[in-house]
Amino acid sequence: MAFFAEMRRRNVFKVALLYAVGSWLVVWFVGAIKPDVPLPACASTFVFTVLAVGFPVALLFAWTYEITPAGLKKAVDVDQTQSIVYKTGQKLNAAVAVFLVLGVLAVFGQRLLPKFEFLVPGVPEGDAPVSEQAPTEIRSLTLDNGLKIIVWPDHDIPNVVLYTFVRAGGRNEYPGITGVSHFFEHMMFLGSGEPDPGAFDTKMETAGGANNAYTSEDVTVYMEWFPRSALEVIFDLEGDRFENLATVAEVVNSQREVVFSERRSAVDNNNFRKLAEQMQATAYVAHPYQFPVIGWPSDIEAWTEEDLINYYRTYYAPNNRTVVVSGDVTAGEIFELAEEYFAPTPAQEPPPPIRTIEPEQQGTRRIVVEAPAQTPLLHMAFHAGSATDPETLPMSLLLNILTAGDSSRLHRLLVEDEGLALSVGGYQDEGFDPGLAYFYFTLPPGGDPGVVEQRVLGELQRIAEGGVSDAELAKARNIMLADYWRGLATIDGKAEALGQFEVFHGDYERLFSLPDELAAVGADSLRDVAAKVFRSSNMTVGVLQEATPEDGE
Amino acid sequence: MKPLRLGCLALCACLAAAVSAAQGVTLPAVHHVELENGVSIVLIEKHDVPLIGLQAVIRGGAVSDPDGQAGLSSLLAGLLEKGAGERSAADFAEAVDSVGGSLSARADLESITISGEFLARDADLMIELLASMLREPRLDAAELTKLRDRQINLIRAAKDGDLRRLVPYYGSAFLFTGHPYGSPVFGDEASLANINHRAVRGYYEDFVGADRLIIAVAGDFAADAMAEKLTAAFADWRAAVAPLPEFEAPQAQTSRRILLVDKPGATQTYFWIGNVGVAIGFAQRAELDVANTLFGGRFTSLLMDELRTKAGLTYGASSLLVRPSKAGSVAMNSYTKTESTVEAIDLALSLLQKIHLEGFPDDLITSGKNYILGQYAPDFETAEQLAGQFAELAMLGLDESFVNDYGDAVAAADGEAIRSVIGDVYPTLDNLVFVIIGDAELIRGDIAKYGPITEMAITEPRFAP
Repeated sequence: MAFFAEMRRRNVFKVALLYAVGSWLVVWFVGAIKPDVPLPACASTFVFTVLAVGFPVALLFAWTYEITPAGLKKAVDVDQTQSIVYKTGQKLNAAVAVFLVLGVLAVFGQRLLPKFEFLVPGVPEGDAPVSEQAPTEIRSLTLDNGLKIIVWPDHDIPNVVLYTFVRAGGRNEYPGITGVSHFFEHMMFLGSGEPDPGAFDTKMETAGGANNAYTSEDVTVYMEWFPRSALEVIFDLEGDRFENLATVAEVVNSQREVVFSERRSAVDNNNFRKLAEQMQATAYVAHPYQFPVIGWPSDIEAWTEEDLINYYRTYYAPNNRTVVVSGDVTAGEIFELAEEYFAPTPAQEPPPPIRTIEPEQQGTRRIVVEAPAQTPLLHMAFHAGSATDPETLPMSLLLNILTAGDSSRLHRLLVEDEGLALSVGGYQDEGFDPGLAYFYFTLPPGGDPGVVEQRVLGELQRIAEGGVSDAELAKARNIMLADYWRGLATIDGKAEALGQFEVFHGDYERLFSLPDELAAVGADSLRDVAAKVFRSSNMTVGVLQEATPEDGE
Repeated sequence: MKPLRLGCLALCACLAAAVSAAQGVTLPAVHHVELENGVSIVLIEKHDVPLIGLQAVIRGGAVSDPDGQAGLSSLLAGLLEKGAGERSAADFAEAVDSVGGSLSARADLESITISGEFLARDADLMIELLASMLREPRLDAAELTKLRDRQINLIRAAKDGDLRRLVPYYGSAFLFTGHPYGSPVFGDEASLANINHRAVRGYYEDFVGADRLIIAVAGDFAADAMAEKLTAAFADWRAAVAPLPEFEAPQAQTSRRILLVDKPGATQTYFWIGNVGVAIGFAQRAELDVANTLFGGRFTSLLMDELRTKAGLTYGASSLLVRPSKAGSVAMNSYTKTESTVEAIDLALSLLQKIHLEGFPDDLITSGKNYILGQYAPDFETAEQLAGQFAELAMLGLDESFVNDYGDAVAAADGEAIRSVIGDVYPTLDNLVFVIIGDAELIRGDIAKYGPITEMAITEPRFAP
């Protein structure tokens, strides 16, 4: 008992209490600023460890030393009659009280001060959304080199998604380099090539991340999915490949083969894509949307290293890209990583604008593709609007009414009622320039594409004249609204949607007004857009079927 | 901030490795409700978006299709959508589409599954539709004929399309010939033609019932209210009549055999090389997953790296594990231009031999584990995914530790155990089943060196001779 009494006399217990309260305050503070300040992932562990190790040290210190008017002395050397441990004890009590008050104030204060970013000068806060519908936690920032970064924090799962939208696709190509945008997607998988071509993916997957990419007529989009712990690795890899892409000849040539293999599977041995490629080449006579994104075979074989370097410098410049991050992150930490890894790449002259406007079509265009096929295919395409065209939303609703679900007009007519088709589908391009409203039908063996075409034209004509019912419009709205929420249910969908709207509509916030815009579209506008677009002089029709044996051979 | 970060990183590196290397998944809290008639209900509240995901599973599936009638359960699944109770097929589709929902049924090897996703505000309607399609489907004869003919023709259309989708069906059909697992889930052109209305109706009466039903619902609802709705909808449903078929695990192939599927004019050869693998309950799942990730389960896997990145022979190469309740399949899968058929197959075989001889080095094993764990959480992100995961656990009779303990099991997998799993699970070069699809005239002679060939045309109305 004497030992405990002596511990008490030397204020060991009070120091322990003070240490505990102080530690709690520190741990709380680190936890409180963590969402807003770019601390490394292990900061909490580090603080906790230091505090835990410090506890016995502090107690030992309190036991061994004593504060005297002459300074710090070993307790055994102090004359007990001269000791001021009692006064020190009072000071310790007061300190505990102050810490507790601070703690209570801070905990309540945090609710009043939602952001701690002001505590850390130099970390850009980014811009909050302006519109009322947009979630307030989204932030965006444009670096000095023109690269815009949008962040949507979401802490549901400990993962992160990073999308990079490059404003380059098939429309930026010309004869001789068709497919080069898509080829870049492949080159980018190899990163800077340092120390070897597989290193980019090896590093990424070792850190638990995965990546992929796609190329369209308008953009090339790179996606990375990774655990929060891989943040820094990903930014390092991403910064490196957008600044130092390898274009060495042997790598280029091995990727040519890979792209050929992709083309063989996806186009040459796939009747749907085989016909779609010819449709695009026919529907456009002037605009570069006529080129297949994967490239004509002769171009895949022929482009030079110089073509690649020029293309990379122009289109992969930071001012021609947009980055979107969604997931278990804070805007502050992403902006800091972006400053570190993306800011050093200099801006370039903006790419030349695409000047060509597709001239008005003068009459129906027809093609036949002959290929081994048990089931014939029919495709029908009409020139329609671009992403920002006011007629694009009514057209989306209209295509839903015609082709989405088993109750859609064309499915019911062709598949269920008349058995003329095995499946129907429809979509619309929503790109920078006016694209196509596109229908595709798979016919049963022996099916007659001419009959299906007439039935489809009849249905389109009915809409152009009589419009759609309110129930059909409500159904199409509900389908699009449910798709909308489905898209926002994952961090991947969030990043993709923000990027699509930022790139194609110039403002990610429009994403959040889509439900209101859908509600505002009237049935009249669907009839009007049908009458404007679904004209025979605006139509391209393609059929894929077995070659018919020619007489006399 | 940088010096702090660097100092901290150095100090934390060892701590982090010990404390938080595994990023496993802990399943959310659920409400279980067991109805007296055997319906098992799992409910998971999730309120981030106004959606509900639903999965209703009936045990059974393609393995219970009668001999010669592969695809029967698949046709029944399709027919469940084609009208029920007061609603005709058209009315039923209209009801689902009009609220922007989805409610579709499909057969799997060992179950019939109905998946739904819809806005939370439409829960009453969608549960009514679910109950109606399960309890009072019209099973209309004319709809069956339409569905059956369409399914036959869609298989023909798939043979005209991208064959990557179909190769595994040929693989299973040829590997498991004579075993229920060899029966193609959606049938083939010949077996579908054998299925009549009486057979489908009989199957429904015999094999579909409350005691085989599992319903998992996740999303934006209150669990109590949802439990009440589902109880009201299913509490008085009858049980199934006939017992589920019993069957033995398939036997592994103990030599080589080759199926050559002729597609004249194909400029590409597709190949699938495998043997009998393991069941879902395989004890060393974590070790096997690490091995398969490294062999052919990710972009930098051995197969991808050698066939695509280094040799440029293909766009894709992978190693597939199919793990049903009894031993399924393990197979390598790739494609290449016709002229490089032998080069690509030789390379794939040499890689299979390599993992038997050498296993994988420790740094790769660490990388593989990080990859699995880093990509695991997104499988449990949405209401629809959670409903699917819980339904599958219940269907397979597994408890939540199957998911909750997985992270730790992966983290603990070591090189020795992984090496031994490779020996146990992956076939050796002597014992392989090959399916090769391509222009037979151009490749027949060259592939004869792999073993005895059985040949069929792609237009033949089945997936194995």
